[in-house]
Amino acid sequence: MSDPHQPRWEHDAETQLTSRQRLDRTARHLLPSVFTALVIIFFSAPVTIPGAAELLPAIVINTIFFWSVWRPSGMPSLAVFLLGLFMDLVGFTPLGVSAFILLLVHGIGSYARFGLMRMNFLVVWCLFGLVGAAAAALQWALACLFRLHLLDPAPAFFEALLCIGVYPLLSATFSWFLHILDEKDTP
Amino acid sequence: MVPVSIQVRQALSKLVLPVLLLMSVGIIIAGQADRPLADRARMRVADVLAPLWSLLSRTQTDSERLVHGLKEARNLAEENHRLSAENANLRRWYEVAVSLARENDTLKTELHWVPEPTPAFVTGRVVADSGGIYARAVLLVAGTTSGVQTGNIALASSGLAGRVTEVGAHAARILLITDIASRLPVELESSHAAAIMAGDNSPLPRLLYYSQDTRPIEGERVVTSDQAGAFPSGIPIGSVHYLHPGQPVVQPFARLDRLTMLRVFDFGQSEIEPPEAPGHVPLTRPHRALTLPFKTLLGPGQEG
Repeated sequence: MSDPHQPRWEHDAETQLTSRQRLDRTARHLLPSVFTALVIIFFSAPVTIPGAAELLPAIVINTIFFWSVWRPSGMPSLAVFLLGLFMDLVGFTPLGVSAFILLLVHGIGSYARFGLMRMNFLVVWCLFGLVGAAAAALQWALACLFRLHLLDPAPAFFEALLCIGVYPLLSATFSWFLHILDEKDTP
Repeated sequence: MVPVSIQVRQALSKLVLPVLLLMSVGIIIAGQADRPLADRARMRVADVLAPLWSLLSRTQTDSERLVHGLKEARNLAEENHRLSAENANLRRWYEVAVSLARENDTLKTELHWVPEPTPAFVTGRVVADSGGIYARAVLLVAGTTSGVQTGNIALASSGLAGRVTEVGAHAARILLITDIASRLPVELESSHAAAIMAGDNSPLPRLLYYSQDTRPIEGERVVTSDQAGAFPSGIPIGSVHYLHPGQPVVQPFARLDRLTMLRVFDFGQSEIEPPEAPGHVPLTRPHRALTLPFKTLLGPGQEG
């Protein structure tokens, strides 16, 4: 009597487990993008944080670079594109500029990831510094191009410096986070 | 999902990034070409996010208030101590003031002091004045129906504001002391020296014609003088300030740039007529018509 019920029980339990796993995996994949979106919302809110306008692109570039290098599944190109577009819509940059720059950063990160992963932290930091400075410079150049006159480059410098300065902090946080995720993955 | 081979899927995944890059370039161009569309999209996103933002900023103000409150609480004991000391001091001054007032009353009774009539006053709301012949004048919503007359004196809460120059049934125009047409006899309070305060349309009227041996002192109070009979003496006007050496101005106590209410006092000065002094020859007779160098303004042969 109990024999025909047995497989169905097991089957139910299995599907429940897989759906939970699937949910877990989806959440993990979405987490960096959701974090970035929340950061964008937080920094575009009218809160008085000093240097919020420069800090936001710095943090977003950091996050996207880190996840593109270490866990590209958590930061797919489509998410990067949507995040950039969202940043443009919320901020005052010309529509599409942030999306373009972030996609370039993401492309560089994912293209060079196998080389970067083998390198020392300090070397990666230096290389990221170049990427961040280039991103800030590109943003400044595009803004100049659309306004059709030369803008003050000081905010772009500040943004590049913030971008480089914030990297160790964010990188440590994300690495610790990745470590926790991996530990949970292999019980 | 359409089943595709691994090679095709890899090729597609390699294509995603360039396609998205191209799309963002396209969006940049489209956003530049059609700015209203971009702005509308921005506003829609902002509309959706507005509640979140307000929540964030409210949280921030709340936390700031909390921190401020904690800081205040830390200083509370010190503040309390200071206030109680100040309160004791003020109480002493209160006793002094009461005894002085009583003494003043006694002295006035002994001297058979003629009490000054308490002036009648009306209070009106100030409405901005754009027209008129004066640069610094305000309109007051109080006119002859409320008893306002030409020559009455308008006081703000902290000092003299001006004089009533024109009266309608429900409104009065008040020439402020800063107007270029305003010249008042004033008194420097510490030296009792007379001077003329002349407006020049700037917020700080100048002091003129003070005697050279009693110059105005920086910070000295300036009050009205009853020399010309237009003002009662002792209405506070402002304090002396030197913009440049030898150029004293008055900083009015009343905030003349943002007047909201004015009290118009009728001191009844015009009713005081000096009695005739026998043997005194007036230089100009008080009520004689002015003699003009020419007979009339009209041409000859047209006198009616």
